[in-house]
Amino acid sequence: MSADHTVNSVLPDEPEKATLEGKNKVLGFWLFLGGETILFGTLFATFIALRNQTNGGPTGHELFELPLTAAATVILLVSSMTSVMSVLAMHQHNLKKMQVWLTITAILGIAFLALEIYEFSHYVAEGHKMSSSAFGSAFYTLVGFHGGHVLFGVLWLITLQLQAIKKGLTVVTAPKFYVFSLYWHFVDLVWVFIFTVVYLMSIVGGKVG
Amino acid sequence: MSAHVSNESTHRTPKVKKSGAKAHLVTFIVSIVLTALAFIAVGYEVIPIGFTVPFIILLAIVQAAFQLFVWMHLDQKGHEFPRIGILMGVVVVAATVFTFVYWLW
Amino acid sequence: MSGHAHSHKRSGLWDWLTTVDHKKIGILYLIAGGFFFLIGGLEALLIRLQLIVPEADFVGAATFNELITMHGTTMIFLAVMPVIFALMNAIVPLQIGARDVAFPFVNALGFWLFFFGGVLLNTSWFLGGAPDAGWTSYTTLALKQYSGIGVDFYVLGLQIAGLGTLIGGINFLVTVINMRAPGMTFMRLPMFTWSAFVTSGLILFAFPAITVGLVLLMFERLFGANFFNPDAGGNVVIWEHIFWIFGHPEVYILILPAFGVISEVVSTFSKKRLFGYSSMVFATVMIGFLGFMVWAHHMFTTGLGPIANTLFGIATMLIAVPTGIKIFNWLFTMWGGQIRFTTANLFAVGFIPTFTIGGMTGVMLALPAADYQYHDSYFVVAHFHYVIVGGLVFGLFSGLYYWWPKMFGKMLNEKLGKWNFWTFFIGFHLTFFPQHFLGLMGMPRRVFTYLKNQDLDLGNFISSIGAIGMTIGTILFLANVVVAARSKKQAPADPWDARTLEWAIPSPAPEYNFAQTPLVRGLDALWVEKMAGNKGMTPAEPLGSIHMPSPSFLPFLMSIGLFIAGYGFIFEHHVFSVIGILIAFACMLMRSLKDDHGYHIEPDEIEEKGVKA
Repeated sequence: MSADHTVNSVLPDEPEKATLEGKNKVLGFWLFLGGETILFGTLFATFIALRNQTNGGPTGHELFELPLTAAATVILLVSSMTSVMSVLAMHQHNLKKMQVWLTITAILGIAFLALEIYEFSHYVAEGHKMSSSAFGSAFYTLVGFHGGHVLFGVLWLITLQLQAIKKGLTVVTAPKFYVFSLYWHFVDLVWVFIFTVVYLMSIVGGKVG
Repeated sequence: MSAHVSNESTHRTPKVKKSGAKAHLVTFIVSIVLTALAFIAVGYEVIPIGFTVPFIILLAIVQAAFQLFVWMHLDQKGHEFPRIGILMGVVVVAATVFTFVYWLW
Repeated sequence: MSGHAHSHKRSGLWDWLTTVDHKKIGILYLIAGGFFFLIGGLEALLIRLQLIVPEADFVGAATFNELITMHGTTMIFLAVMPVIFALMNAIVPLQIGARDVAFPFVNALGFWLFFFGGVLLNTSWFLGGAPDAGWTSYTTLALKQYSGIGVDFYVLGLQIAGLGTLIGGINFLVTVINMRAPGMTFMRLPMFTWSAFVTSGLILFAFPAITVGLVLLMFERLFGANFFNPDAGGNVVIWEHIFWIFGHPEVYILILPAFGVISEVVSTFSKKRLFGYSSMVFATVMIGFLGFMVWAHHMFTTGLGPIANTLFGIATMLIAVPTGIKIFNWLFTMWGGQIRFTTANLFAVGFIPTFTIGGMTGVMLALPAADYQYHDSYFVVAHFHYVIVGGLVFGLFSGLYYWWPKMFGKMLNEKLGKWNFWTFFIGFHLTFFPQHFLGLMGMPRRVFTYLKNQDLDLGNFISSIGAIGMTIGTILFLANVVVAARSKKQAPADPWDARTLEWAIPSPAPEYNFAQTPLVRGLDALWVEKMAGNKGMTPAEPLGSIHMPSPSFLPFLMSIGLFIAGYGFIFEHHVFSVIGILIAFACMLMRSLKDDHGYHIEPDEIEEKGVKA
């Protein structure tokens, strides 16, 4: 059974930082997230610049619906919490529990993606496309980039689950789980700004105008 | 769980800071509350509409800070360079967004 | 897991395709960067040939546009950046007393991504035409209505190459932060390592911006998006901003390592400690930070308004302060030193006044009111060639002459080297000094010809003749490389009586760098030991078995995958795009699932080779 070689008696308290390789991985990933900040920041700036250029098409105020955005937000926020729980479980050297939390995270991620696909297809049907206006281009690129990150995260999570089953919790695998949770939090963090800047601000903008 | 492990004399339960788990839960609740406030502010127009945008952006920043420092452990020792990295990223993004809002032509 | 595999002996091509050794990757960067440098140089020669006399018709206007675009793009992204990475790879781990970089696999991946991105971009010459919208690729000119398929090559090639540069930058940041030898504190880092560190930081924050810009342009051209198309509500200034948010830090990414090289060389060949070390560090960090806050000075004539222009103008002039600190520090380092004019030092000494001229014209350009006169003229061309060739390329030559023995175990010939310096130096000034005046007399940048008797004939003629001098200089360097490679004489460990850690180990550096990790006891670690009368560094650990990472073919394969995907996007055969990306993902998956246990070099193997640090 996989659980048998989970609790290694020599596994240190914070296994992700036990080796130099692990420390390097965590630090390198943090710096990568610094770069990702610029990546999303530039996309946000572009969106803010172009959000009113609808070229005669539907505006954000006409398209966006609060309940849908709220549902997506709650799903992602909860999944961020479950990935915290998975790291806590890892620090308790409890592989089973960690796997359970990771599985829940993956399911929530897939739910979020499904919601986003539904949302996008709905918009396309209403004439809001990548090619219809500058607003459309900026919207799909920013939100799509985020969705791409969620998709990548889910795929990554599947490979991590395979490793959890095969290799268990070791000083080699622990940094991978830890780094994934950083990634997932970051993706959730970007969403906080997406629901604020893209959805809520468009709705407010429609009320003002 | 696993019998052969508990026999090991060196086995011990790993130290997990209790406050850590609690802080994570508090952050979750804070995030939910801040998010709810933002949606309510927009959905029900409870504050003057001119203030709504600055207000929800402030909420987003507070929530982001909570998640960065608690969930992602940016407050812990040994995170000096990650802090610098994220801070520098935020500075550049702030300059970029400011320019795109005011100086795009 | 008893029997550890001992050193895998791989040979020939396979070794180079799979290596994760930072020293070999450095050599790969040098070869590839040098190759692209020759291509970019050839393009420059054709440009000067076209402009040698008025109303010439050697290449024609359309080809001229392709030539200037590819010259700029190749030189910046594919020639000087990789040579910088060559020096960083070869030297930074040695200077900090490390056995390896933090991520050897990622390091190899970074090289191969850059390489295949560069190859992709250059194949455009044979596959429908090179990009022709300028190296800045401004929209609307770069939109599909106005530019050919070349711009698609630009967009895809630079995305792949840029990804390689980005991960290379992260690798060096982590290497410097986590892999330093005991005692090697931040304020004891050699100046070159400091500059490599700050440059890597700039790469980390600048390259994501250009990636976004390229993605937007790609979506615009291939998937019908409308970011830049004014007819559908787009805004062309967005491209300008994004390009320069990347583009301005990029010029500091380029010049800072040159500053680092000059600091090492000037100090070694003056036999003096670098003057004002801590102010040098401060200046480097300051330049790195300010480099992000000045990008709109490339856009003074765009019409952002007086407040934006004033603020960005002042911020730009501020950069002159830390740069001035550096220049005075180099002068004071030489002051009273025992100066030896080796080729490396000649390039360093030639660098200082040349770069200062480039810096001065930079301050002139930083004044918005005056910039309206200089903008888009040959004055700008002269300015940036003074900082990039007169600054960076001189610095790279200096670094190559200085570190060649450490990289290859052979000395470059000093006599040929001096000829190399003087021909290149004189040729450079002949080429670019007249261009200041051409610009002031009104010759616009990027024109493919000019009329007779408008006072532009003589300046252009001299400029084109000067290009021959730079060509001879480059050929002499290549000749020198051949002479050095054929010479039987092995370079000593410390040929220059130098000061920093890399000279404490044999030339070329053994694959494990340091048999025993050294203990660092001060700035200029090796010099400290020499002054204390010690033969070499004091080891910080007993002789033991050394763990090495296994070589891997995956970086090469993964880059091939993205290379194929690039063509798929350019020619809109998305089957290939999907296949290519799947190959890349499959490689990532394999890397993730299979642990790399590496191999060990045992102490007896180290002793056998008779090498001790």
